[in-house]
Amino acid sequence: MTVTKSLSPIAALLLASLVASAHAQAPARTPVDFQATLLAEARQANPAFKAFSAERGQTFFTATHGNDWSCSTCHTRNPAQAGAHDKTKKPIDALAPSANPRRFTDAAKVDKWFRRNCKDVLARECTAEEKGDLLTYLLTVKP
Amino acid sequence: MKTTRLLPLAALLLAGSAFAGDHRYTLSPAYVAECGSCHVAYPPALLTAPAWATTMQGLGKHFGSDASLDAKTHREISDWLQTQASTRDKHAVSGKTPRLTESTWFHKEHLNLSLPEKTTSIAQCNACHTRAEQGDFGEGSLKSNRR
Ligand code: HEC
Ligand code: HEC
Ligand code: HEC
Repeated sequence: MTVTKSLSPIAALLLASLVASAHAQAPARTPVDFQATLLAEARQANPAFKAFSAERGQTFFTATHGNDWSCSTCHTRNPAQAGAHDKTKKPIDALAPSANPRRFTDAAKVDKWFRRNCKDVLARECTAEEKGDLLTYLLTVKP
Repeated sequence: MKTTRLLPLAALLLAGSAFAGDHRYTLSPAYVAECGSCHVAYPPALLTAPAWATTMQGLGKHFGSDASLDAKTHREISDWLQTQASTRDKHAVSGKTPRLTESTWFHKEHLNLSLPEKTTSIAQCNACHTRAEQGDFGEGSLKSNRR
């Protein structure tokens, strides 16, 4: 009786920390997982949509979209290279997964920066098609 | 006897937190992750609580950038900033987008400085304070002192 009584708080603590760490760490994702999710989203928005294009992605990445900035303003025209924030000059690690294995592995981070940077560059959110083209382009970039 | 043995430990523990006068600032991991991604994570004790509240309310249009946060992270960082903020007038600023580089204290401390090459703004603290990323603004880590 005493044993179970003294054990259960520890067990509860262990369980709580397990649950907490499982919660904090969302399931590991790869850039290819993201690509698949984006393809499903793109097809949902447009059933006729066929496939992403690295070429379209590169054009999207280097073009301005009605404002001063393009994606390449901060991430440079070579996404295998480190960039820098246009205003603050703070360095930004390379965006291409081949050069930086942490890229496109954390859904919350990816969503947050797509949302922010698309608003800054296009004054709207990016579509699944645009994001998928871009990621497809980034996956062709060699370090 | 016991107290004397405890003292060094207490000193060690205190050294980790903002120590009046030595210009080292404690930065929470969430603050560094979110507010140190586009620029150096600015010392929270160099602006007042109302100025931080204004900053946090305007993150959707933050100096021309979208710096918005999810609700949970927003509350966590807002609350933390309120506990770390300065209560002194010399750190107060006015304006819709408060800049700690516009306080009376900051001006006085940074009079007549010329910016190093490739530095475009005094807000790029790490151009001169080489350990700014760690919250260390002590004179020992100033660039000119390192040469
Ligand atoms: C004003 C500068 C700036 C511009 C312009 C910009 N970005 Fe970024 N981007 C950043 C910063 C800063 C980060 C976060 C720092 C980091 O993760 O290294 C980031 C991170 C990202 C990430 C996170 C990837 C990951 O998994 O870590 C993606 C995706 C991204 N940017 C895409 C874009 C796209 C697409 C555009 C153009 C529509 C763009 N960015 C334009 C500054 C910029
Ligand atoms: C998406 C990029 C981005 C993120 C994220 C970001 N900032 Fe900024 N911040 C900027 C830019 C750009 C400036 C203007 C820098 C300049 O003028 O040199 C700036 C300036 C500031 C300044 C004024 C500095 C001065 O001149 O005194 C403060 C204070 C500040 N940011 C606080 C924060 C806080 C707090 C957070 C986190 C909630 C945050 N920032 C997150 C981009 C960002
Ligand atoms: C152009 C170089 C430069 C830049 C950029 C700069 N500082 Fe400084 N800072 C100095 C110098 C030099 C001193 C020492 C002034 C003195 O002792 O008279 C100083 C002093 C300080 C001190 C007091 C340290 C002490 O030991 O007295 C703090 C805190 C500080 N700076 C914070 C900042 C912050 C925060 C930023 C960015 C928002 C910043 N500085 C940007 C050069 C710079």
